[in-house]
Amino acid sequence: MKRDNFKWAFSSGLFFSLLMNADTVLATQTHGQPEGLYVHQIAHLVFIVSMGSLEFWLRQRNLIREKGWRYIQLSAVLFILWNINAMAVHFMDEHLSILGITKIDLWRIQIETTANQNGIAFLYYVLKLDHLLCVPAMFCMYYGLKIIFKSQKRASGSDPIQ
Amino acid sequence: MIISSIPILLVDLAGSILMIVLSLLSLRLVFKLRQKDRNDIIWTYLWWICLALSLFAMSRSAGHIVKNVLLMWGQNQIWAAIRPYSGAINTVLFVVVGSVTMFFERIWKIYQLIRKDRQALQAAHKELLYISQNLEQLVHDRTDALSASEHKYRKIFEVSKDMILVTNREGLIVNLNPSGYAMLGLNPESDVIGKRRFVDFLAEPETWPDILASVEEKNHSTDIELDLIAGDHTHKRVLMSGSMGEQTDKEDETFHFLIKDIQKRKMMEEQLAQADKLASIGELSSGVAHELNNPLSVILGYTQLLLRNEKKSTERFTDLKTIEKHVRNCKAIVENLLSFSRKSDTEKEMLDIHKVIDDVLAFVQHHSDIQNIEFEKEYSTAVSPLMIDEKKIKQVLINLVVNAIHALEKSGRVLISTDLKEPTDEIVIKVTDNGSGIEKRHLTKIFDPFYTTKPTGEGTGLGLSVSYGIIKNHGGHIDVESATGKGTTFIITLPIASNKWPLLEPVDYPDSRQEN
Repeated sequence: MKRDNFKWAFSSGLFFSLLMNADTVLATQTHGQPEGLYVHQIAHLVFIVSMGSLEFWLRQRNLIREKGWRYIQLSAVLFILWNINAMAVHFMDEHLSILGITKIDLWRIQIETTANQNGIAFLYYVLKLDHLLCVPAMFCMYYGLKIIFKSQKRASGSDPIQ
Repeated sequence: MIISSIPILLVDLAGSILMIVLSLLSLRLVFKLRQKDRNDIIWTYLWWICLALSLFAMSRSAGHIVKNVLLMWGQNQIWAAIRPYSGAINTVLFVVVGSVTMFFERIWKIYQLIRKDRQALQAAHKELLYISQNLEQLVHDRTDALSASEHKYRKIFEVSKDMILVTNREGLIVNLNPSGYAMLGLNPESDVIGKRRFVDFLAEPETWPDILASVEEKNHSTDIELDLIAGDHTHKRVLMSGSMGEQTDKEDETFHFLIKDIQKRKMMEEQLAQADKLASIGELSSGVAHELNNPLSVILGYTQLLLRNEKKSTERFTDLKTIEKHVRNCKAIVENLLSFSRKSDTEKEMLDIHKVIDDVLAFVQHHSDIQNIEFEKEYSTAVSPLMIDEKKIKQVLINLVVNAIHALEKSGRVLISTDLKEPTDEIVIKVTDNGSGIEKRHLTKIFDPFYTTKPTGEGTGLGLSVSYGIIKNHGGHIDVESATGKGTTFIITLPIASNKWPLLEPVDYPDSRQEN
């Protein structure tokens, strides 16, 4: 009991002495410009890892024998590809100073590269069409769920939508 | 590179709209699935993924649409103000989707466990429902089955010819079937269960622990041969097999026994062995007798020839007479041996056995010292005349009656009885005395030739063996029952069938053939 009181008194004393002597080092850390980008990229990585784990366990648990889960597996793979695509675009936009995009008018843009490489410009242009990956991914998710829904409906012998 | 921005704009706008639509459709499907079974953890899991994906899709797509619209209108500053918020929300929703998705394996494991438990519960529920709905019928069926089973095993217990016995460790009778009562000479009405000890019926009660030990060793034991002393003091040879009951409680433990009466079988085995032995001795005796008979006849002939020419007063005449007497004795023994070996001729005729017995008794009473001996006769009127060799049957009866008189030692009772054995059509003649009896060790040898317990010179030991041969020659058999100190009974069994069928021996039976 005495020992607990001592611990409490010591901790409290330390906390208040630090508070009284606070300077910039101990203040809340500032978050500059690149941090948001790093967090966003890490979030993409988390998304990739989670979809990878989903794909792995779907195979591991042999769920891909069922058509519905197979589509969900495909959705996970497409989301991984979309994340890679999105990360690549963010990387090219923010990290590499090799691209410059200028809006010429409403319907045209100019993509400039430092080495004047059209290949990189074209790749950037194609990568910008990322909805071509995430929309099929979302569709596969929807279709897979629909198949599961139908199979459940058949299994129960009645319309589960009541 | 100058390039059209239309594809980017179109794909961005259409893709954003499609993302919103598809995510909401997915959410709606999962919502319906979840509505069906709100406790299903998989639908809940998919609900959270779809919810996170929908929020992400809406946030991102809305951001893209707003961005494109604002940029088209040249409102770059407004977009610059909104952009960080849109990006931050997107980032958070990425993490949410990723976090929720990563729980899949754990969720699936839980789902499997729940499903397994649910199935077990459903099966149990189904079974319980069936039992509760059909309880009365089930109880009825079960009772019927139990009753039928009980009846079946009760029947086996009741009708078994062998003793079925249940005892506790101390040998106290716990259950006993009717055959057991009969075998132990107990009255079925008597109070035996829980009162009498099986050990008390064992001829050697000290073997009981060994019996239990042999049963306990392997949980069962077979072919234990025992002697029982029944309630009526008769000895019985039995074959016992035992097993242990299934009670776990030491106090309730029981031993189950199946006991077979093998007394008759044993007796038959002994009789067969005896018959085999006597047949072998008979063969030997017959051979010896035949070989001796011829030289004895020659000796007797020459002795008689010499006697004719000898004067009676001479010492030589006396010597020759002695030779003649002993040769005649030898010939008598040879004749007896031939009788025993059933090689002597018989002359059978239809006779009243009761008259034959009367003649024998008259002869014996006339020739023996029998002042204190009482003779009794119990003749059955059912006994019909028999086809017998009078002389030889008389010889048998004289042997038996004289033996009985010797066993009585001056005083006692001799009973001669006749009876008809119905099912086998046999005549039974019993000669019973209440004398000293024959010791058990002599019983198996009394029909052996030259076997006698009398002092040397008092008997040849051929009387009973000759009787045995004569009765066998009549197609019958002779047995003995004796208890030391209580008396002896010789039982002659003669077949009535011998009146109708020719006997085994090639003897001339003119009368019987005429009858047939």
